[in-house]
Amino acid sequence: MMFETAILVGILFGFAVWLILQSSFVKILFGFILLSNAANLAMLSSSGSPSGRSAPVVLDGIAVTAMADPLPQALVLTAIVIGFGVLSYLVVLLYRIFLDQKTTNAAELFDESRSQEGGPEQ
Amino acid sequence: MNLVVLPVLLPALTGLFALLILRPSPVRRTLVGISGGLQVALACTLVGLTYTQGPMKVELGDWPAPFGIVLYIDVLAAIMIAIGAVISWACMLYGFFELPTRVTHPLRLPLVQFLMMGINLALVTADLFNLFVAFEVMLLASYALITLEADDWNIKEAFPYLSVNLFSSMLFLAGAGFAYGMFGSLNFADIAQQAELMADDPRVGALGILLLVVFGIKAGIFPLYFWLPNSYPILPAPLAALYAGMLTKVGVYVILRLFGTLLPHEFSGLHLVVAWMGGLTMVLGVLGAVSRGFIRGILSFHILSQIGYMILAIGFFTPFSIAAVIFYNIHNNIVKASLFLVGGTATVLNRTDTLARMGNLWVATPALGIIFLCQALSLAGLPPFSGFWGKLMIVLEGLNLGSGPGGWQFFVLTGLALFTGILTLFSMLKIWLTTFWVRDESIEVHREDRRWKGMTAVVGGMCLLSLTIGFGAQFFIKLSFEASRQLLDKAAYIEFILGPS
Repeated sequence: MMFETAILVGILFGFAVWLILQSSFVKILFGFILLSNAANLAMLSSSGSPSGRSAPVVLDGIAVTAMADPLPQALVLTAIVIGFGVLSYLVVLLYRIFLDQKTTNAAELFDESRSQEGGPEQ
Repeated sequence: MNLVVLPVLLPALTGLFALLILRPSPVRRTLVGISGGLQVALACTLVGLTYTQGPMKVELGDWPAPFGIVLYIDVLAAIMIAIGAVISWACMLYGFFELPTRVTHPLRLPLVQFLMMGINLALVTADLFNLFVAFEVMLLASYALITLEADDWNIKEAFPYLSVNLFSSMLFLAGAGFAYGMFGSLNFADIAQQAELMADDPRVGALGILLLVVFGIKAGIFPLYFWLPNSYPILPAPLAALYAGMLTKVGVYVILRLFGTLLPHEFSGLHLVVAWMGGLTMVLGVLGAVSRGFIRGILSFHILSQIGYMILAIGFFTPFSIAAVIFYNIHNNIVKASLFLVGGTATVLNRTDTLARMGNLWVATPALGIIFLCQALSLAGLPPFSGFWGKLMIVLEGLNLGSGPGGWQFFVLTGLALFTGILTLFSMLKIWLTTFWVRDESIEVHREDRRWKGMTAVVGGMCLLSLTIGFGAQFFIKLSFEASRQLLDKAAYIEFILGPS
């Protein structure tokens, strides 16, 4: 179980980085969404394999060691919310760049040969 | 003991108050300005208390460590809080003089307070996941500030800033997960205690390298700095000063914590790598600065080369060199921020910050020229200014280590540090000659624009502070040594947080 999770995290990280290195805004955005999920999964997997362990509710007769570790689950909730917040900010920023610069291509955006009209004085 | 929470709470409450209750007006400015003054006073109190009585902590919700979140302040954290409070206050006052109330973006004041809240939380926390949250709070405020007043053309530079920092945040999250999986705890003291016993385990080293990459991106170390020099110049002058003076230095602070507190001290191989990264950052940063032709661009590259000095000294990793880093931090943050503010004032006077179209400023305002000269020479490290003492300590330690085994590397690194100093002086003189010294009848100086007087007064205050650091160096060096002692004394740290074992 843990081994499969490790492989899944690795694949997610790999695909995410590959997508982020593309030049289309949409691909970059999806790359970051995958990256966020990969990191969350890595965080979640630190609680160990859940198979054979009970939910972390303290009842008589269940040893504490036989329960799943609830802390990473709590942490990952925080991380998901934070990741979602930053990603939505990224969406808005990319949209504003599209409106201002009329492109959805990162390579074109930073192309030095584009006109520098109204550009920073360098 | 709840003083520990105040550096986080005060900016948070001020920010909320300014955002929700007050309309943008001189009243709001006055109240937020008073709060800034209170933050400086609080931070100075904290420095005094931690220096005389040792570190302080508070366990949030009264949950005992290592289960609850612990906030911890030692001299190092208190010094950083104090520098942050001083710089944010100065930048705020400068902003008040720069733009009238109706022109300033209404969100700028609250966002700066939220930024300070995140920075202070990152400085005081003693919990890895809480540090991640603090970084996110800080970065979200900084994303908002960097895009707030950017124009249609500059907005694109915010994209690399956001994406690189988002990437490093996700690595940080994964790193925190690995740390929890490995140690079963996120508390610094608990991790430090267990890592000490596992110093030979390659996983500890791997975790250290992962976190070094994360914080290296925030601090802008070679080869992770490429996002910084283009994104900072799009900020308005006071915000650029705050980012340069404080935000990037949080990365340096966390690297100090990482090597001083979290990881075992025996990682001399990794320390050497860090020293080389610092050395290369220094040289490449200053070469970038030499290549630039506008003030904010030059200064943004200088952030990198100054960070390089600090990282180099962290790589030396002796109590003396850690004290040097801390002193360098005190000196450099003030100097760097005030140079950005001088640049902003010069821009107001000349209506541009492209060196080729600036000039005549020495005739127009010698005071600004003197302030710039003091700070620039201090940055380059000439005596008797504050930068000299920091560089002297780093160079002395480099030469000292050079006589040990494998010494040639330290000699080379020290040589690089001195070479960088010369190039720093060169690029500072470039600004000096083209903006202040040159006489060109075709260049106008807009002295009738009254704003520059107040702005120069704020920068003058910063300059006085910097001169105080230079001439009263003994006091600040003593402070740095105490901070270094507390940082490196791991046994005392663990006992203080977890209680006697």
